[in-house]
Amino acid sequence: MTGPSPPLRRGRTGPSVRQRVGKATPYLLLAPGILWLMVFFILPSVQMFLTSVSTGSLDNGFKLTWSGAAYVTSLTKFGPQFENSLIYGGTATLLTFVIGFPVAYTIAFRGGRWKNFLLFMVIAPFFTSFLIRTISWKVLLLDDGPVLSFLRALHVLPADASVIGTPIAVIAGITYNFLPFMILPLYVALEKIDPSLIEAANDLYASRWGAFRRVTIPLALPGIFAGTILTFIPALGDYVNAILLGSPQTQMIGNVIQSRFLLLGDYPVAAALSFILMAAILVAVSIYARALGTEQLTG
Amino acid sequence: MSTTDQEPVLPLISRRRFLQGTALAGVGAFLAACSSGGATAVPGGPSVNPSSAAIPTLPPPTPTESVAPTPKVITGPLHWAQWPAYIDLTGTAATNLKYSPGSSPTLEQFKAKYKVDVDYEEKIEDNNTFYATIQPELVAGAPTGWDLIVITDWLAAKVITKGWAEQIDHTNVPNCVANLRDPLKGQVWDPNNDYHYPWQSGMTGMGYDKTSLASAKIAPPVSLADLWKIDPKKMSFLSESRDTFGLGLLKLGKSADPQQTTADDLQAVHDAIKPLVPGGLTFTGNEYLQNFAAKKTWAAMVWSGDLASSGSADQVFVFPTEGTMLWTDNMLIPKGAVNIYTAELMMNFVYDPAIAGQIANFVYYVSPVKGADVVVKSLNASAPLAPALFDLLFPPADVIAKQHNFQFLSDALETTLNNLYLDLAGG
Repeated sequence: MTGPSPPLRRGRTGPSVRQRVGKATPYLLLAPGILWLMVFFILPSVQMFLTSVSTGSLDNGFKLTWSGAAYVTSLTKFGPQFENSLIYGGTATLLTFVIGFPVAYTIAFRGGRWKNFLLFMVIAPFFTSFLIRTISWKVLLLDDGPVLSFLRALHVLPADASVIGTPIAVIAGITYNFLPFMILPLYVALEKIDPSLIEAANDLYASRWGAFRRVTIPLALPGIFAGTILTFIPALGDYVNAILLGSPQTQMIGNVIQSRFLLLGDYPVAAALSFILMAAILVAVSIYARALGTEQLTG
Repeated sequence: MSTTDQEPVLPLISRRRFLQGTALAGVGAFLAACSSGGATAVPGGPSVNPSSAAIPTLPPPTPTESVAPTPKVITGPLHWAQWPAYIDLTGTAATNLKYSPGSSPTLEQFKAKYKVDVDYEEKIEDNNTFYATIQPELVAGAPTGWDLIVITDWLAAKVITKGWAEQIDHTNVPNCVANLRDPLKGQVWDPNNDYHYPWQSGMTGMGYDKTSLASAKIAPPVSLADLWKIDPKKMSFLSESRDTFGLGLLKLGKSADPQQTTADDLQAVHDAIKPLVPGGLTFTGNEYLQNFAAKKTWAAMVWSGDLASSGSADQVFVFPTEGTMLWTDNMLIPKGAVNIYTAELMMNFVYDPAIAGQIANFVYYVSPVKGADVVVKSLNASAPLAPALFDLLFPPADVIAKQHNFQFLSDALETTLNNLYLDLAGG
């Protein structure tokens, strides 16, 4: 019992404990994540789906009736708000890319010893609450605020020009608020690019633009993908910018969901809208991923 | 408070401003909560106890006939939940609009008179939020920890009709019985004041900016109908749907009485407002103050007092010829209160006109107490209040005659109202 050498025993008794643990390791490591997803994503999603096919009221309780009425309401009544979400979210994502790419590129390739400082500057606004930042934009964009006053003084804008309450204000707010979500993934992707690859391209007679297009951009694709996803998805569901900077004309689908849930207590329609939004995002993202080429996205 | 009429102006804003400010803060909270919002929507009802979710409709409960008289023993300390800056304050508390123990003459006088301590806490910033903190205890029949709470009509109605308020022994509150102003009597949800007495009221009417309208050559509005003649881009209505639709009903010459208003009436208001929305009409809370200041808004539906307190002589509050909306915050003794008799004594104490005048002279809302106006006048004898301001505190008879309380709606009407409002507001 006490003496036999371990190797002999192991040979006789199939896979050892260590081997078995070894096989299970990936699952054990995944367990916290899976548990997390189960509790905070899968279960709520199932519950939300069940709510979306229920009928009733907040006061008298909701009953699961497998009714599709909430989906019909959602799809027929809120066209303008879905449209606003897509247009504002899409435009803001495009703008964050146009603004963010040069910033990320500059920090990655020309940042030098200022790199960390510049990155800090990108994140610095995040030390302030999202709400405060958005309200500040309201102050900036007011009719008598600094931006419009300045533009009026330059006679760029007519005297009665107004931005608050227009789609421009909402898109500006979203663009500003989600800019770091674009810059940081872009930076990470660009920073990984070995400058010697670009030098090599130049040595092989690629023009600067050619090298950029055929070397830098493809290598930065994972960052572009991550950045646009990280920006577009929350931008699509955002409602704070529309509340604070918009008007009744510029409400987004997030506003509808918010008011259905919290003001009206119309949980089925709110849940159905959330599901439709989720489905729309899934479809959009998978099309996008396919268009970019998924195999490149893992870097 | 023997201050001038300038100093106490600020507090008046805080009650409503808090209401709105927390709505904004709420946005942030909802941001964080929005993903979990769905999770609470368990099919079968989000509420633990089904009865807690049902908002009872009319009629109100019949008071129990045999109420054991409250033992007349003063116990304490009295736990009182109140809105910020909603009682007379002195010293730094008055400057900061934040109560600190010892800073309220009314409370100090009460303590001295009855030899009992008062645990006065400014814990209510929003009806819904506060309700959420006491609702589980009320459902479970457990003490809420409060002996006296101050909540707005619709919530007071809800709490009372669910049977979650202690009945008031009228023999303990002779001042209340004698001095409650007549327009505040006979609420459908508690017609005999068996469960509540008003704390302060406010009104919803119109406001405009003198210079903006003058430069645009528009006559100042006197009626609600006049608002419809102003460029909607330069106007805002209120995001409190009860206020906007209540005034809308008056504009259309319809009754703004929850007992009589129908879904069709509300639809008519919606249809009257809807054409203004593409023109740029917005729905705001207290932000209209900033919009007035920035000259972005020329005229708006506003709460009484806000403009008077904004400090600009340009901005004027108007009682529309059609009438105003009246809302009231009410004192209730929640079920399970420990110091019921002391709470009744407090109700009685603040219905003494001398005390009520002292409070009104600081908080600048409409006092529910007969005779408080005389006291306020005498308190300001050296520097009389401007007549317009005095009218806000003590509305003249013709204004009172046209006050409407559009607060307590049936479930169905409330749902209709919210739906119609959301359609206007774009949500």
